[in-house]
Amino acid sequence: MTAVWSVALITFKEGIKNRVIFGIFIIALLLFAATTVVITLFMRDIVKVAVDLSLSTVSFAGLLTLLFIGVNLFGKDLDKRTIYMVISRPISRSEYLLGKFLGIVLLALTVVVFLGLMSAVPVILSKRFYYYSEARFDWMIYFIAVIYIFIKLAVVSAVITLFASFTSNSFIALVLSLVTYIIGQSTEGVKLLMASKVEKIDVSPALSYMAEIAYYVFPNISAFDLKTQAAHGLSIGPSYIIWTSLYAVFYIVIALSIGVLAFRRREFP
Amino acid sequence: MQRSLTTAILVSFALIGSIFAISRVSLERDNLHQKEGIGLVMPSQVAQIIALEFKGLFADAIFSRAMTYYGGKLIRAEKLSEEEWDWIYRNMDTATDLDNYFLDPYYFGATNLAWGTNKVKEANLLLEKAFKYRDWDWTIPFYLGFNYFYFLQDNENAAFYLMESAKRGASGSLIPILAARLAYQGKRTENAIIFLQEIIRKTDDETLKKAYETRLNALKSILFLERAAAAYQERFKKQPENLDDLTAKNVIREIPKDPYGGKFYIDKDGSIKTTSELR
Repeated sequence: MTAVWSVALITFKEGIKNRVIFGIFIIALLLFAATTVVITLFMRDIVKVAVDLSLSTVSFAGLLTLLFIGVNLFGKDLDKRTIYMVISRPISRSEYLLGKFLGIVLLALTVVVFLGLMSAVPVILSKRFYYYSEARFDWMIYFIAVIYIFIKLAVVSAVITLFASFTSNSFIALVLSLVTYIIGQSTEGVKLLMASKVEKIDVSPALSYMAEIAYYVFPNISAFDLKTQAAHGLSIGPSYIIWTSLYAVFYIVIALSIGVLAFRRREFP
Repeated sequence: MQRSLTTAILVSFALIGSIFAISRVSLERDNLHQKEGIGLVMPSQVAQIIALEFKGLFADAIFSRAMTYYGGKLIRAEKLSEEEWDWIYRNMDTATDLDNYFLDPYYFGATNLAWGTNKVKEANLLLEKAFKYRDWDWTIPFYLGFNYFYFLQDNENAAFYLMESAKRGASGSLIPILAARLAYQGKRTENAIIFLQEIIRKTDDETLKKAYETRLNALKSILFLERAAAAYQERFKKQPENLDDLTAKNVIREIPKDPYGGKFYIDKDGSIKTTSELR
């Protein structure tokens, strides 16, 4: 466990030292600043627009961090051959992989905590600026949505770990992770579209079967998207929280297990 | 020395050139925009999938694009064509499909489609969607009730939605009373005046407020003439043939002006109408 933790800490430190992360933070802060200007263009649901922009910024910054820094943290050891130094030490391959995963999850956590707190500023400003009497907003739901952004990023981290465990360079891992993220966002929508049976459009059974399979294979990332709920103060039941969290945990365990299996058999060049 | 001088001259030349060019570019862009017209509306099923997790942002963007377009037209004092209104409706529909609870497109679509053009049906479709999702918001059934009552003369539905609005905690005791009276099919003009006064009180948009006030003044004039015609009938036991009868027989001193620029007249069925048709 100490081995896992020390790899995680090194990975985290390496990631936080990366200059890209400052760029991402600056973009995020600029977007928060822009939020305060953009909301003045709307009519009544101003707090909703501010919440949309704030939470989307947090989520977007987190994704950029994972895809640009997280993926590279895996690739570096392989590209620069420093992996030999690591695996020659008393640490198993699975410990190394888990440590790496934990490191980028820590990185995502830092981004979400920092930006999540910052994101409250434009929302507070928007509430001061104009709060329509029939609008609904609740800080508790807002921060649940922020936590869910972190859960989503943890799932994406597990997917990145899985792909990095067997691909030969970080660019392929990046593309695969990105594609998985996009598919994971849309499987639910596609499944619903197939089920809705739009009139006069016949969906072939093979296609709907494929959509069904994709729904179970790829992570259903849209389940972790609670931005609409946060924007309109719609309550989230405890069972939703329990089941989606369990789903995230199970999915992460599956992805990491497959990743560990692949990484153990891997031969380094 | 020679080199840096050349560079400085070149840079200042380019700087002046670029400032001149950008002013021309903005002019050219303006011309381009005027010819550009309305764009495509993304079908909501497609938008829902490609928006990924940023559905709320997509809704904001679609809404603000249509609103900006409408605003530009308004500033240039141009009238929107039938297709443009249709485009606005479809944009509002897509935006609210992406975020079912987003008030602005409902509000913008419903008020402008009903008041700006004759698309009350579309306005009500939007409002009914809002009624389903925003199930705490009393203003939605209020607007719906108003549209049914005022534009469609459907007192039954109007009463239903006003009652719903009252159930959701509409402020003030005015609305329930009104709803009850509507159910008994009271006088249209008087009720409309009460409605409009209520709406004006809650509107902070100056342009909309002005539109409502113009309508309110016209309705007040109509109510005034209706009452005068009723008084005439009581006094002379016959209907006035035209409004000049009212001034000739000293029932009223003068005929009020239609704020929409038309002229008031008495229709065959005895109701007061105007040549501007309140438009």
